[in-house]
Amino acid sequence: MSGARPAGGSAWRERYAALIRAAWLVDLQYRAAIAIWLLWGVMEPLIALGIWWSIASGGDVEGFSRSDFARYFFGVTLVNQLTLAWDAYYIDRWIREGEMNYRLARPINPVHESIADNLAYKARSATLILAVWLVAAAVWPAVRMPVDPGRWALAALAVVLAAGIRFLNGYVTGLLGFWTTRATALMELQFGLSLFLSGRIAPLTLLPPAVQTVAGVLWFPYVLAFPVDVLTGAVTTPAAYVRGFAGQVVWLVAWWAAYRLVWSRGLRHYGAVGG
Amino acid sequence: MAATIVAERLTKTYQVKVREAGLRGALAALVRPRYREVRAVDNVTFTIDRGEIVAFLGPNGAGKTTTLKMLTGLLYPTAGRAAVAGHEPWTGGAPFKQRIALVLGNKQQLLWDLPPEETFQLNRAIYAIPVADYRDRRDELVTLLGLGDLLDKPVRQLSLGERMKCELAASLLHRPEILFLDEPTLGLDVNAQEAIRGFLRAYRDRHDATILLTSHYMADVTALASRVLIINQGRLLYDGALDALVARSARTKRLELVLGDGVTEDALARFGDVRYFRFPNATVEVPREEAAAASARLLASVPVADLSIQDPPIEDVIRRAFEVDTAGGEP
Repeated sequence: MSGARPAGGSAWRERYAALIRAAWLVDLQYRAAIAIWLLWGVMEPLIALGIWWSIASGGDVEGFSRSDFARYFFGVTLVNQLTLAWDAYYIDRWIREGEMNYRLARPINPVHESIADNLAYKARSATLILAVWLVAAAVWPAVRMPVDPGRWALAALAVVLAAGIRFLNGYVTGLLGFWTTRATALMELQFGLSLFLSGRIAPLTLLPPAVQTVAGVLWFPYVLAFPVDVLTGAVTTPAAYVRGFAGQVVWLVAWWAAYRLVWSRGLRHYGAVGG
Repeated sequence: MAATIVAERLTKTYQVKVREAGLRGALAALVRPRYREVRAVDNVTFTIDRGEIVAFLGPNGAGKTTTLKMLTGLLYPTAGRAAVAGHEPWTGGAPFKQRIALVLGNKQQLLWDLPPEETFQLNRAIYAIPVADYRDRRDELVTLLGLGDLLDKPVRQLSLGERMKCELAASLLHRPEILFLDEPTLGLDVNAQEAIRGFLRAYRDRHDATILLTSHYMADVTALASRVLIINQGRLLYDGALDALVARSARTKRLELVLGDGVTEDALARFGDVRYFRFPNATVEVPREEAAAASARLLASVPVADLSIQDPPIEDVIRRAFEVDTAGGEP
């Protein structure tokens, strides 16, 4: 009686297309809220830029000129929007309020809904920010990026890896909702730390050596500072590229392993809200 | 007929944090958390054949929903085994989930801001339903449920009853052979409840589907289920036909009367327990085996325009079953 095909490649393409379409249609209902979030996402790096711009009024700061800061923080704005993941908040709510139940009864892992949601969100935000950047670059030479397709390709790869790490990091944190009601607080803590450790507030090389050391052994620099540096041309030597990409791959694999572990253990632990 | 749902000694225990009230209790729980084991489902065994509609009854917290969630693979049992459509639910994966539907009356999957058609389209892709099949099935569901003009209205503008109809349609597009329904008529008005019941019967008849539902509404049970499972405090108390339960647990019969002029409540009291009196209607409860004799005496001594002998309402029968169990189960 069940007349469904086994899900092959085309079925998965259709699933992702349908999930992304639904995400966009829902987004269209919340245009104002999304515009505000986007503005918030753009304001933070612009404020940081304003501060460093005025600090650099008397000349370079540790080798950073005003133009360097402008390029860096425009890069931060773009990369941040392309790697931002809200999943911890959704997953935590799904678990606490019983919305995970019907998702678990479907023949696809709920992670696909989250991945599709991220693709939809990022495509939309990135388009808007790229458009703004093109307009800004037309009138403000400081934020122009050198035309270098090879570097852009590497930057794109670094952004994809960074988005993967950040997605899995947020998803795993949300899944901690299987055990604790404090999953979103843990996410807030990581957001706070990332302000310094990922390079959101300042280029990492301007931070005290101790902070740089701590950042170096965590995933934070690989989700923002490294892709931004690739994009702006701050990464120059092959060794630095190899170190950066290797770090990204290691953290992606680590968070993937954490996801596998937390998902299977979490399902066994799941109490499923309701009598 | 082969059993399509098998539950064997199914058990689920939860660790529940014990916390005393007040700040002191909160601090104590922080320093040294204590846990208590709660048996939500305790050694439950039953089988359900293909095409059966079975109602799962019990008070809140009895273990109905927990059992349903184990049978749909959402929860891992602590002990016991289950087979649903030949699969172990919690390891069955996508092939298993393609064959079942879980409908939760209190938590719906419809995309809140979009018309129901969008959720249907999403489920078409998720369940990999071929387009031609999808159209046929959607049209069938739209007709059976009377969805007509609801499909292009945002879900948030639909009434609760309309939403539940759309929820059922969204859940059945992949034509599941086993339906698990948790309170499918929760909060609906009488007309909507009746529409849902009629639809579920029709779906079962057309597709030989098996339905296991929980409900607080006895009307759902009497209208749909030929068989009931009664669970209380995690234990299965009764598994069998509704009629047999009534015959076993109902120790009384009710004489429904339409009285002639001048009959008072006191005059009826000597025949049995007067459960209702609003002239000219009255209900007198009498021991089951005395029903015929009591009726004859009543008819001989007071003016009666009409008399019928009824079983007590199913609610009372089931409440009695719970009371007997609770009284017997206490140490």
